[in-house]
Amino acid sequence: MSRDRDPERTRDSSRRGPNPPTRPDDEGESGSTWGARWAIARRELRSLRSEKTILLALAIQLFIAAFSSFLVVGLVSLYDPGSIDGDRTEIAVTGTDTDTILAVANEQAGVTARRYDDLERAHEAFDRRNVSAVVEANRTDDGRLSARVTAPEGDLQTSVLVVQLRETLTEVERIERQRNADAGRLERTPLPLPSSIQASPYVGFTYTILLPLLCFLPVFISGSIAVDSLIEERQRGTLELLRVAPLSLADVIDAKLQALAVLAPLQALVWLLLLAGNGTTIAAPIALVALVAALSLLVVTAGIGIALWAPDRRQAQLLYATATVGALVAATVLPEHPANTVAKLAIGNPTATTWGLLVGYCLLAVGAFAALRWAIGRLDPDSL
Amino acid sequence: MSDGRGRALAERLGRLRHRLRESIARTGRIARWEVRRSAGTVDRKTVIALAVMLLAVGTAGFSAADDGLGLEREIYVVGVDEESRYYDVAADSDQFRPVPLADVIAEHDGDDIVVHGDATVDIVVTRDGRIGRVGENGAAAYDEFRTAIETYNANLMADEEDHAAAYPVSVTLEYRDRDDPRSAASGADGGDETGEKTGAVDGSSGTGDGESAADDAGGDEPFQVPAIGGGGSGSSTGTPGSIAPPFPFTSLVLAFLFVVPMNFVVQAYGSTIMDERVKRRGELLLVSPASRSEIVAGKTLPYLLGLVGVVVAIALAIEGGPVAVAAALPIALLFLAAAFVGAMFARSFKELTFVTVTISVALTSYTFVPAIFTDVTSIALISPLTLIVMDLQNEPVRLGEYLFSTGPFYLSAAVCFLLGLGVYREEDMFAQKPIPAKVLDAIANRVRGSWSIPLLSILFLPFVFASQLLSVALLFAVPQSVAVPLVVLAAALVEEIAKSIHVYAGVTRSRFDATLRTAAVVGALSGSGFFVGEKLTHVVQFVGLPELAVGTAAFGPAVSSEPLILGAVFLAPLALHVGTAVCSAVGASRGRAGYALGLLTAVLVHVVYNLGVFVLVA
Repeated sequence: MSRDRDPERTRDSSRRGPNPPTRPDDEGESGSTWGARWAIARRELRSLRSEKTILLALAIQLFIAAFSSFLVVGLVSLYDPGSIDGDRTEIAVTGTDTDTILAVANEQAGVTARRYDDLERAHEAFDRRNVSAVVEANRTDDGRLSARVTAPEGDLQTSVLVVQLRETLTEVERIERQRNADAGRLERTPLPLPSSIQASPYVGFTYTILLPLLCFLPVFISGSIAVDSLIEERQRGTLELLRVAPLSLADVIDAKLQALAVLAPLQALVWLLLLAGNGTTIAAPIALVALVAALSLLVVTAGIGIALWAPDRRQAQLLYATATVGALVAATVLPEHPANTVAKLAIGNPTATTWGLLVGYCLLAVGAFAALRWAIGRLDPDSL
Repeated sequence: MSDGRGRALAERLGRLRHRLRESIARTGRIARWEVRRSAGTVDRKTVIALAVMLLAVGTAGFSAADDGLGLEREIYVVGVDEESRYYDVAADSDQFRPVPLADVIAEHDGDDIVVHGDATVDIVVTRDGRIGRVGENGAAAYDEFRTAIETYNANLMADEEDHAAAYPVSVTLEYRDRDDPRSAASGADGGDETGEKTGAVDGSSGTGDGESAADDAGGDEPFQVPAIGGGGSGSSTGTPGSIAPPFPFTSLVLAFLFVVPMNFVVQAYGSTIMDERVKRRGELLLVSPASRSEIVAGKTLPYLLGLVGVVVAIALAIEGGPVAVAAALPIALLFLAAAFVGAMFARSFKELTFVTVTISVALTSYTFVPAIFTDVTSIALISPLTLIVMDLQNEPVRLGEYLFSTGPFYLSAAVCFLLGLGVYREEDMFAQKPIPAKVLDAIANRVRGSWSIPLLSILFLPFVFASQLLSVALLFAVPQSVAVPLVVLAAALVEEIAKSIHVYAGVTRSRFDATLRTAAVVGALSGSGFFVGEKLTHVVQFVGLPELAVGTAAFGPAVSSEPLILGAVFLAPLALHVGTAVCSAVGASRGRAGYALGLLTAVLVHVVYNLGVFVLVA
């Protein structure tokens, strides 16, 4: 160890500097400090590149995004009657009061309703697969319409069929309700429903789930790398070697922190470009990247702090994961959840609270960073 | 049998028992160390920090539990005057932020809506009550506003005195099996609900007795406010809005609970394996009298037992049966096995984190995605989680189904541990190599002579099987014209890699000579080994997977009954596997680029063959 320090000592003793050396950033030396810092940051990034971890990280994020999109698109198309165009569903309607149901169902896209006078015959048609479902509608004594629906069990079409029937029967309910309201049986009239239009069902998902996910995952991963990187240097003893560099411990950690904190906003930028390329408009990309940068600085700082404080990797990772997940849950007490802030900035409807929180995150990140520097300055490097 | 031989046998048995007991003792001791060391490193400050964090999160979570995470809060802006009757809709809805109409609209006459230059707004409610859309997200906002009006109306109706007038339609939904007519089948959920429904059907079969429907919902109690979506487990009678497609939502979420703790445990398990490899710490254990399998067993045992304990506790808490535990066990085993291999291959903690996250994500999706389709198709059975969902719904699970869905998991876990154990030795553990090189090392470790080649081909089958099933499950919702070629391609690629990767590993690690003759022999052996193993995958036919077109694409058509066709169906794959395996083996003997080329050719041949068979049959 002492041999490693020799060159540094001779250099320092020629200047009669303090021993052990303090941060040499006071006079004229700042150029070389930046060079050394840059070297450490480069070393950090190079290890990520050589291990291909950054590729793996991107692949994981892409997979999670694709996976959640797959789930949503798959489920929506599974339950979306529009997804099986051309395949008309035949419904048998029987019972004593069928007029409204017949009229509504036949107006609905993809559904054909036919009246059967006899329930038995309707069920026979159902069993022969001539009709997909049987609806038996009767008027009860208190004026209600009772619909008994028989649907085939357990196949893919059933989901779509049930959704179609739900739409039909909800429309029937609306008409009946309006009739009751006109007859004065209701105290308050339900509001008229505007006509339905063709709208993408994925807009809400994209802005409120996918985009926050893609903004927060890089942050989480950067913090996790920071924890691992520092704990590993401590456990392998290479942090001690790094201290022979003409930098203080705080500078070494700073360089690591900055290298990792920059990664997250860069990744977020890539995701935003990718989404924009796919036709999702991002209203305030600069604000979003700034938000990710602030959160990234905050989380990486926290990760470094945990890595300096915890005794080994298992505990450091446990504390880090609990802290980040916990912070996401605890953030619900804020006037806006960070994910909601992301959604509002992206969709273009930010409020004063949104901007206030963005500034707040930036201040918090800088504050945490300053606090970490102060703490490292007071830390005895030999205790690590 | 002579006396002496009997005594010798008894002596040998005794020695064996003695050795076994010693081995168990050593394994137990290592397991105890592992527990003590792990418990020892969790020091007081970590516990206190964790407790403080959990307390804070718990308090925040509890206070926010009522209104959720608020992810969608006020993401749309609606311009509406306070006098408008739609104002309350916007004010009540979580997704909308109302702003005064005058702030956003400069002028409007007829259909034209002109917005202030700097105002952001998605929809406007004009003074004459029409709803206009503005901007790109206007359509989506309009659609959501429509839903908000429906919710508002539903809330309005809930306050009405006259329930019959407020809820004028009542719906009873029942499911019937068409192949077995006249049987009132179970509905969306099993359990006690089934009894109620069946009773209702029996009580009013045929006659138009409307009142029984209302009675089912609990006499004259007011109907619940329609819970659109998410209410898959609701009762079968209710308002039109409350009926929902059969979707085992609750059971699925509960089943997911089993997978969550596994993700955390593999992190710790990966760390402890990796710890042995940092600073050559594992050397101390390696020079001890314990064999490497004892070391690994001892280090794994605490985590496995811990997971079993957690699984049993969850099963007790959510009232799952022994089937749920038995189905969760192979998932836990595979998680641990994959984490073990990952920790043996990773170069640093950073890399390990990504490897474990990849394992977590891949395994979680592999178990979760198919389980969504539990009630829809038998493909769901590829995931043991489906068995848990079925168990939670009180559906019986047959032994064949259990073996089908857990078999690949048990076998994959065994193969992973086998590969990992091979590199659990001094020269591999402390060497820094990229992961692909380590994988090749691990495989080459198991290549001993040409007869190990067909054996390895068979050993890789669980992975082949699992990845093909995954591709079927992933592409099952996609239109068939896209899904079938993709599945064929994926199947061919995976099979060809499984047939050739160990040959390549053997050649690069100098287990074989890189001659053409050796390559041909080894390739033929690998292909025929794979063929023998593949016959095992015909188990899939027992669960009727080939009924699905995508299933046929991945696994080949069902075997015909005619002898000539049977013979062709039997021998054609053998020729295919041997041919393509030789092709890639010859490539492998010519180095990396050669291997890539050989593999590509083999995949192409395989794809053409599969497509040909598919077209021929379909």
